[in-house]
Amino acid sequence: MSTKYKDKSVDIHAPGVEVKKSCCYFCHQNCGVLAYVKDGKVIKIEGDPNHPTNQGGLCCRGNIALQHLDHPGRINHPLKRAGEKGEGKWEQIPWDQAISEIADKLNAIKQESGAEAVAAAAGTLRTDDWSRRRFLNLFGTPNGFHNALLCWIPTFMMETAIGGWSPFETDLGAAKVVILWGFNPGASAMPGMRGYTDLKKAGMKIIVIDPRFSETAAKADLWLPVRPGSDSALALGMLNVIINEGLYDQSFVENWCVGFDELSEHIQQYSPEWAGEQTWLDPEQIREAARMYANNKPGCIQWGCTADQMGKASASGMQAREIMRAICGNLDCPGGDLMPGPSQDYITDEELEGNDFLPEEQKAKQIGSAKFKLTAWPGYSIIAKNCKEVWGKAPTAEWMCEAHGPSVFKAILTGDPYQVRALICSATNPINSYGDSKMTLEAIKKVEFLVVCEYWMTPTALYADYVMPIAGALERPVIHNNYGVTDSMICAERAIQPLYERHPDFNFWRDLSIATGAPADQWPWQELEDAFYYVTYPLNQKGYAHSSYNEFVQKFRMYYPPLHYYKYANGFATPSRRVELKSSILEELGYPSLPTWVGPAENEVDDPEVAKQYPLVLTTGGGFMPFHHSEEFNIQSLRFIKHEPFFTINPETAAKLGIANGDWCWIETRRGRIRQRANVEPSVDPRVIYAQRGWWYPERDPKAASSADQPFGCLESNVNVLTSVDDEHCDPIGGSWANRGLLCKVYKATVTDTFDTRFSIPGSSAEPGVTVKPSEQKLAFEPIPYDPKPSFEVPEGLTWDKDLKKAVYEPMNLVYDENSGWLYDPKTSVYYDLQTKYAYDPTNEVLVDEKGQQYDMTTKQPVEKGGK
Amino acid sequence: MSHMMHPNKLTRHYWVWPIAWYLFLGGLGGGTLFATTMLQTCGHAICELLGLGDYSGVVAQMFGPALALATFAGVVFLGVGSALLIFELGQWKNFIRVWIASTSIMKWGATFLVLAMVFGFVEFLFFLPPQWNLFWYQWIWLRDVCTALAGLFGFCVAFYTGCLLGTQKSKPFWNTPLLPVLFTVSAVSTATALVTILVGLWPAIDGETPFALQIANQIASPDYANQVVVMVIATVTGGITEVMHKADAVMVILEIILLLVYIICMRASGNLTAKRIAQTWISGSKSLLFWGGMLIVGLGVPLWLYLSEVPNAGLIAPVLILASGLLLRFLVLYSDGRQLIPGEEAYYAKLPKGNEEFLQPWKKPY
Amino acid sequence: MTRYAMVIDKRRCIGCQSCTVACRTWNNLPMDIIYNPVVSEGVQGKWPNVHQTFTPLLCNHCQNPPCVICCPCKATFQDDDGIVWVDPNKCMGCKFCVQNCPYGARDVSAAPEEGFARKCTFCKDRVRTAELPPDQRPEGWKPEDALPYCVNTCHQKARIFGDLDDPDSEVSKLVNGNTTTRLFTELGTDPQVYYIEENGGSVK
Repeated sequence: MSTKYKDKSVDIHAPGVEVKKSCCYFCHQNCGVLAYVKDGKVIKIEGDPNHPTNQGGLCCRGNIALQHLDHPGRINHPLKRAGEKGEGKWEQIPWDQAISEIADKLNAIKQESGAEAVAAAAGTLRTDDWSRRRFLNLFGTPNGFHNALLCWIPTFMMETAIGGWSPFETDLGAAKVVILWGFNPGASAMPGMRGYTDLKKAGMKIIVIDPRFSETAAKADLWLPVRPGSDSALALGMLNVIINEGLYDQSFVENWCVGFDELSEHIQQYSPEWAGEQTWLDPEQIREAARMYANNKPGCIQWGCTADQMGKASASGMQAREIMRAICGNLDCPGGDLMPGPSQDYITDEELEGNDFLPEEQKAKQIGSAKFKLTAWPGYSIIAKNCKEVWGKAPTAEWMCEAHGPSVFKAILTGDPYQVRALICSATNPINSYGDSKMTLEAIKKVEFLVVCEYWMTPTALYADYVMPIAGALERPVIHNNYGVTDSMICAERAIQPLYERHPDFNFWRDLSIATGAPADQWPWQELEDAFYYVTYPLNQKGYAHSSYNEFVQKFRMYYPPLHYYKYANGFATPSRRVELKSSILEELGYPSLPTWVGPAENEVDDPEVAKQYPLVLTTGGGFMPFHHSEEFNIQSLRFIKHEPFFTINPETAAKLGIANGDWCWIETRRGRIRQRANVEPSVDPRVIYAQRGWWYPERDPKAASSADQPFGCLESNVNVLTSVDDEHCDPIGGSWANRGLLCKVYKATVTDTFDTRFSIPGSSAEPGVTVKPSEQKLAFEPIPYDPKPSFEVPEGLTWDKDLKKAVYEPMNLVYDENSGWLYDPKTSVYYDLQTKYAYDPTNEVLVDEKGQQYDMTTKQPVEKGGK
Repeated sequence: MSHMMHPNKLTRHYWVWPIAWYLFLGGLGGGTLFATTMLQTCGHAICELLGLGDYSGVVAQMFGPALALATFAGVVFLGVGSALLIFELGQWKNFIRVWIASTSIMKWGATFLVLAMVFGFVEFLFFLPPQWNLFWYQWIWLRDVCTALAGLFGFCVAFYTGCLLGTQKSKPFWNTPLLPVLFTVSAVSTATALVTILVGLWPAIDGETPFALQIANQIASPDYANQVVVMVIATVTGGITEVMHKADAVMVILEIILLLVYIICMRASGNLTAKRIAQTWISGSKSLLFWGGMLIVGLGVPLWLYLSEVPNAGLIAPVLILASGLLLRFLVLYSDGRQLIPGEEAYYAKLPKGNEEFLQPWKKPY
Repeated sequence: MTRYAMVIDKRRCIGCQSCTVACRTWNNLPMDIIYNPVVSEGVQGKWPNVHQTFTPLLCNHCQNPPCVICCPCKATFQDDDGIVWVDPNKCMGCKFCVQNCPYGARDVSAAPEEGFARKCTFCKDRVRTAELPPDQRPEGWKPEDALPYCVNTCHQKARIFGDLDDPDSEVSKLVNGNTTTRLFTELGTDPQVYYIEENGGSVK
């Protein structure tokens, strides 16, 4: 009788099995995971039922942690390029040797071209990037960047500029309505979706704004299928209704807002009828949405990725939504949108970053910061200053204050504004996840020195000079605190030490930093746990007694400060200490201070010629199960569920174009074309195409002739071939590029069709090559000259400094303090008399001239020195 | 992962060619045992029919030897069918468990198969060359019992093959009382065809065999015995062939009617799966095999051959009928669609086919 | 008595297929085996008045399981608590049960070392730990350990598992307090997976 079947089931309760409180690491919700460890091996994982985020649930990705951990395709050792770039020949070398060789090369580049010639790219939060920032600051380059501009960061900065901190924490338990704006938790935020489902059952209204009948839209009370990219027009139209119908919170507006009258006047141009034309909605739907939100107080507006992915049409919507929350009185109140502020109780990421190490003159060299200011040093400096004054701490600089990624790639290709010679990529495959893939691929191929910190051999890693093996899920401790800008945190410990020669990226940056010459005492933490213990240590004061980070995780797992509302009692962290409906920070940066409509990157109203050739509207970038961005395409059990790319097209349009369900088709924009299979279903408007993001084919042989120009088929079905990073399409305020609301056409593919990898700047298939230097490229709108007028009379002999917004006495570099009537030296903080310019000596209460002669305070007559 | 994997449950056929052959051979083998038994039982009546008058009783005894090869073929086909059945098992070493107490219809099938084979084989042992003079030749009663039981269990096997499919309520195209009837008629029809081919071929009954002479001596003077034997065998063979051709023609007509009724009723079924599958027979993927292969070449042409006087019709027609019997089992077996749950089709259509590159063993990146 | 059953609240399911993957990993299933697909006909209707519903499938652990009675070699069983399961070492791989299940809940993998019928077991090894007296439960046992893993992993809590014979269990309350549907009841299988139907759609 056959007994060949071996029971492979694992007993998690067997003797000797340890339970580690780990977390999922396949998106940045970091759901709680219990890892069952026996003899140093993880034998099973499952969702942690006591974790506040997931309460035991795990999505598709969460469940494959063990397959990810020891996948045969993982990079387990440092690799040094042995053949030509992209040839795929590697030499395996020890970690320390790799670090020292990389450090030598970076130092040489710094010597020859300045530290700014070294840039660092990253993807989404799959890293401990305060350590990257610390390295970059110590090294001296301002050119670190993430995909941050597509994901929340511009929204965070806009909301913080207007209201003093982004009110991103929705207090749903007490809310009566929530707007899920361009957000599909049903496919991208499972734990959140459960909450919405529960609360809807309990009576909360859900408004979903999505051009697609998404998993979430299917459960909504009100669904507004907008034209992709027109969300800002909807926000402006809703704002118009709320103001004109008097649905706002009068007392909050009077007490806590400035600029309401200007706003009321400005918003008149954006009637629901106007918004209806832009959004393809019925004006009544817009009124209904505005009333549903404003009349069901308190309510929340949940941020969605769409907000940051509409290119030049992004900013006005962020502004309008923040204003909508404020004037409806939903800021930081029970059931509203809470502003957590930076943690007062533990060490924040910003405090770990060492931003003071970076000299001012290097900050000025940050690529893209002169154009897209809000999310770079110009905007961040102002916001950080206000936050420090009110909250005592600043937002994280990593993410919130970075170089403009696409501009860095353009700098690699054009040397404009200067040649970027080295690029360190960590947790990113920019070819698939940044815009205009053909251009990005060319930059990756061209950059002089490329280091990639990775799990996998991605198309980007293939062109690297060094590939560093990075520890992933279960191999690293994790603190989840929303990019370091919230006051709570949830912690996880490593289940096991990293396998092979993998290290967390923290060790990479620490080792590299010390190898490039940073003093070792700037990195007092040997391992991540040491650094994290430094973070949690102050919580000992709060009754969380622990003597190591792991002990904190085992005993407490998380820290939530007692929830408190109305934290703005002492004023919002803006220059006026009020919610600035008319934003002084935007004004200072040269942007419209009131939300002002700009059409999406390509649209039929502004670009009728383009619309003739490309009659359909493309939307993309939305998450879909089971993948995350361009990740997990190499996990068999996930790929099994969706192994081919699909775009969605309305049956009506498909019939007109002769496209049947399942047909391979080309989707083409002005920048190029990709192929995906048709999913014919009425979940989008007949004028709209929805294409899946992220696709590449990690299973393919990159050495095959067909793959040579675009390894792993990285341009074949990759929707970012279609997206635009042209400066004129980017949001001039926050720098977001355009994933949504682009114009495209669709047609059936044939077997003989070929790929075109030729790139161009600006993106165009018709004119390959660089036709415009980045510095000559125009923005969607020109900066508005900022000319602040003094609010006081400038005393004679002093001049008005627009940048400082102060009157100054130039001969002595003194600044006039209009409140006291004195001059002072900002460097020494010594005060000087306005008329005589004599210094004030607080010890003797006299004035002193440069020779040491003392003068009486009131008569200004010389006094004899005592005792002489 | 093997490239043999077939993740699409809806297009995957869990029972494939060995089962189709088994269904055919089971029907054919069982039907043959049934047919030979029936012929032997009715030998006297057939002789009467042939006008042998007083000699009927004696000549009828020649039926057994004349049909011996057919009996043997029936046993062999049952054996081959059983072997295929075991070959097709995922864990064949466990096949013996089929007789561990169970309620399964398959247990009955296995039992019928074994019994039919055993009794058929024992029956055949009596028709080994008479000159071997084996000791059991005298136990005529045993031969008769075995003949009867082989026929009975042979019929059960033939009938059972239809029941095996027909009792599956998960398969709307099979789950009808007509299927066992259709399979039984087809089994008897193919068996009849087989018998007409094999009758009288073995054992070689020539004038020298004592058994035949003994019979001949009863009806003629010793001088003419040899000629008489040859004549009798020819008469018996010819008689059986003629009767069986007629019988088969009737079976074929019956089978055509049953098939048409089956398809018409299925096409009109309220069950959408049954309807969809019937449509594939009428005008879809199986229509050429059904109309052209099954009805015209497999049944229509042999029927015409039986009824006409075409030379060699006696050989061509049975072969075509046997082929059509096999084709019927394939057509039915591959009509194994399950009633779908809404959405299943779309779901499985999007799954990989099994030969995709990402399902191959993963290559190390360096 | 105990009668295990599952309720699937289609109002909550979003078709993420987490259960599909979770089951695969928890039970070490070969790649071509799926115990619990989540199927959907896609978005239906005419833009913008459309709707969509997802149907998670799994073995129905029927009260009258056609797959058990048909097994010729007594390799599949239905226990007193209703759970239907296969002993792979007794199965001869004739696939008769696969053919007989009206729900497609059984399958045989083409992978090497396979060849026997496979099916969802309601994670019987997990769920039966609940029946142990508290002092005999393994160290570190928690109530979630006594749920089928697909129930545990479902973020949406669309799968609810429990004892139908216990009037206080959540499944009892849901089955008795709601209109539920079951699949192919006309076949007389008496399936024990109960669906609460979706009421969504773009028109509210």
